[in-house]
Amino acid sequence: MALVEIEQLSKVYKKGSQDVPVLRDLNLIVATGEFVALMGPSGSGKTTLLNLIAGIDRPTQGSIQVAGQDLGRLSRNKLTAWRAQHVGYIFQLYNLIPVLTAYENIELPLLLLPISSSERRKRVQVVLEAVGLIDRYDHYPRQLSGGQEQRVAIARAIVADPTIIVADEPTGDLDADTATATLALLKRLNEEMGKTLVMVTHDPKAASVAKRLVKLEKGKLIDDQLHVVSFNGMKSSPRSRQLASE
Amino acid sequence: MLKFFPYILKNLLGHRVRSFMTIIGTALLMLLFLFVFSIQSGLHQLLLSQDDRLIVFQSYRFCPSTSQLPIFYEEVIRGIPGVKDVLPVKVVVNNCRASLDTVVFHGVPAKSLSRVRPHVRFLSGDWIAFQNRTDGALVGRRIAERRGIKTGQSFTVAGVTVNVAGIFTSDVSGEENVIYTHIELLNNNQHHQDLHATLYEVSLADPQQAEKVATAIDAKIKDRFEITTETKPQKAHFQNVLADLMDLIGMTRWLGFVCIGVVVVLVANSVIMAAQDRVKEHAVLQTIGFSGWRILVLMLTESILISLIGGILGTLACVAWLTWQPISISTEGVSVDFIATPGLLGRGLGLSAFIGLIAGLIPAWQAGRAEIVNSLR
Repeated sequence: MALVEIEQLSKVYKKGSQDVPVLRDLNLIVATGEFVALMGPSGSGKTTLLNLIAGIDRPTQGSIQVAGQDLGRLSRNKLTAWRAQHVGYIFQLYNLIPVLTAYENIELPLLLLPISSSERRKRVQVVLEAVGLIDRYDHYPRQLSGGQEQRVAIARAIVADPTIIVADEPTGDLDADTATATLALLKRLNEEMGKTLVMVTHDPKAASVAKRLVKLEKGKLIDDQLHVVSFNGMKSSPRSRQLASE
Repeated sequence: MLKFFPYILKNLLGHRVRSFMTIIGTALLMLLFLFVFSIQSGLHQLLLSQDDRLIVFQSYRFCPSTSQLPIFYEEVIRGIPGVKDVLPVKVVVNNCRASLDTVVFHGVPAKSLSRVRPHVRFLSGDWIAFQNRTDGALVGRRIAERRGIKTGQSFTVAGVTVNVAGIFTSDVSGEENVIYTHIELLNNNQHHQDLHATLYEVSLADPQQAEKVATAIDAKIKDRFEITTETKPQKAHFQNVLADLMDLIGMTRWLGFVCIGVVVVLVANSVIMAAQDRVKEHAVLQTIGFSGWRILVLMLTESILISLIGGILGTLACVAWLTWQPISISTEGVSVDFIATPGLLGRGLGLSAFIGLIAGLIPAWQAGRAEIVNSLR
């Protein structure tokens, strides 16, 4: 079942009086339960695409439907409410709130939901255990390592049980070992919890964890591969489609 | 909204120095504002009080010592229709000009005082002790606290030596700055018929008849003794005496308004800095699902809270100051107390919250309207 349906999507930014096209007539479908890696050189539009899927940016043309909702048609307020319900966002630089503890950072999305404080506590404990930080719940971001901060950020992204999780270079600021552990956690979210993930990355090793690799260049989708083996030396399925010519 | 309170508080505590400086600045300015307006309150209360009294004063005399009305006028005034009671008062001050530490003696017939001042409440001493000593004095609470005067103690001011028979408190504005003593003592113990009063305080049977009775008193004294007096309601007498001071007090209001302006700028600056520091944080909150409206409310609450805490501290400081060190400004023997009334304190607190709202509105609105993607960059 398609969770994300993108048709003829274009995004143009204004730079002074100049139009800068970032995405051009892009089509993409992401099914529920997929783990998609978006790759491409800088300026290829992968983060813009991720932001559009997450509903924090709006398309210039075309349509983008996520979880059955045409995001381009939602008002600012409705889009905000939609994000609270459907999207978990993982940032490259974690973006935790520095004055809040790990527990309080994770609890933030739950404050927007009509649930009791005991239910909030229960849910935060579950995700803290899932990311292996139960003993760090009262630590502030400055007291955590980069890897731990990213695990808190992941916990914050999944605590409200979103329909889709988007991650913008989640391992971009981590050392190799921590990056591997973080990717393993993302893989678990997808495989064991059935979460749909869309991840932007520059790192082929990170991309190899995903089940599907989508490549962009100059705002166009140029390659879309299903991985048979998700490990070093990534292999593609016969269903791999070359889209550069489209 | 309550569940977001820890976030708001932690943001204030997370930027301790900035929050502390803003709160202290706001507290000091609110203290100054309340201090300035406490004298307005004191003046207001003074002019509200005693609308059933007339003051008989010698015409064209200004400083109390220049008005000399013989003691036997008392019986003449008492005989005028509409007069309920008469109290001759000899006023002696240590300083006739405007001063923050004027000592005002009211020399009165000792036995009459308890009759015309039934509202006086003793903190120590009593009427009997006052009546039994020819140099006995009843000292108002404010002057006693200001000068550290205790019951049983003797002291000399303006050439008058008295022994403290009691310390009293009174709800009548200005009265706690008065020292009541025997009229004979302030007339150098002359024979009764040679005594003089500075003024006569006339209680009216009907306040509506004030003008008629005043005209009758002045006419009778002029007719009998060829002395010109000017009898006025006590409020008009105070207004006349305090005319110059009232102009100055009126001017100080502007100082209070300047304080408000500076608090607005101070709090706004703090909120703008907080908003600029947290552009990315607000974008993250929006990404999570916080609406622009919610971010606006969070920022405004922060702004109101910081201003209100400053306002509360300023209010407490003002109350503490005026409680522990009562201040009054006097001229020609009439005192205006600095009074922080509950109404004034309430207005000060309400104003602090309103300042927080006004000062935080634009930065909070901007924070709530910011584009997520631009802010994340």
